[in-house]
Amino acid sequence: MSNIKEILKESSVFICLGEDERVSLAQLFEKREIQAGDILATAEDAAQYFFLLNNGTVLLAMDEGKSVVLNKAGDFIGFELLSAKGIYRTTLTVLESGSVFAVPTQDFLAFIQKESVAATAIMTAWQGYLDKTASFAKNIEDISLPYNF
Amino acid sequence: MYGLEAINASNGWAISVVGVTIVFTGLVMLSIVIAQLYKVLALWENPSKIKALFKKKQPEKPREEQISNRVVFAESQKEVVKQFALLVRTMTDHFSLPRLLQLALISDLKDPYLNLNNLFKTKIIVPDGSGFFTWDKDMFDKLIS
Repeated sequence: MSNIKEILKESSVFICLGEDERVSLAQLFEKREIQAGDILATAEDAAQYFFLLNNGTVLLAMDEGKSVVLNKAGDFIGFELLSAKGIYRTTLTVLESGSVFAVPTQDFLAFIQKESVAATAIMTAWQGYLDKTASFAKNIEDISLPYNF
Repeated sequence: MYGLEAINASNGWAISVVGVTIVFTGLVMLSIVIAQLYKVLALWENPSKIKALFKKKQPEKPREEQISNRVVFAESQKEVVKQFALLVRTMTDHFSLPRLLQLALISDLKDPYLNLNNLFKTKIIVPDGSGFFTWDKDMFDKLIS
């Protein structure tokens, strides 16, 4: 898969979106090729982008040595998995070359705030995704407040 | 009555058309059978193929297992994996993957990112569900030793 709309359609986090919402959201993403060893995000830096994996493998290193490996198309790397209060809290390293779709955090959170119905659906799906992928990373008290990310 | 008159009177044209059609169809069928004869001869020579035709399809293996089977370590990679194993032995049973990567980089192992990814794909390194990872010695022995 290489089309952002297709990925959004397949992603368990965004599968709940309607066609119009998916089209608007897709416009915010830009594709980036990634190479093994690239650092996509560094802990303590300003959180500029969230990422949606197209192909390849990334290692998400968290506090206290914890980590998660993501390698499925449609894996979303954002919200508390990546940042808190506008700061990256994890470091994202590429293990296997491929590509990701990057979305500016501000634009993404603005979309969430504007589209309240879509936001609710995304956040519900996100909690399910997080339970399956990295339940140990859930530590945001109020997921309805975008500034938490 | 003779000649064409006799043919018309006895439905000769129709009979001849039917006859030609039967002969032509027969020849076409015969040529199809001859064209496929090599398949029958192949089965005759190798009866195990007949069994395979009736054998039930095996259920598809899970995707992870397929991936695990797809990764084949070259000899040089096996050496790197053994070096990873040595690094893991210096760590706790439930170890940190970023820490292992850091150690691999410090130790100047070859292609640390790719090889770490292969260890994950082959399930030699397995997530424990709490953010840490364990080393599957059985899988390591199976794939590397």
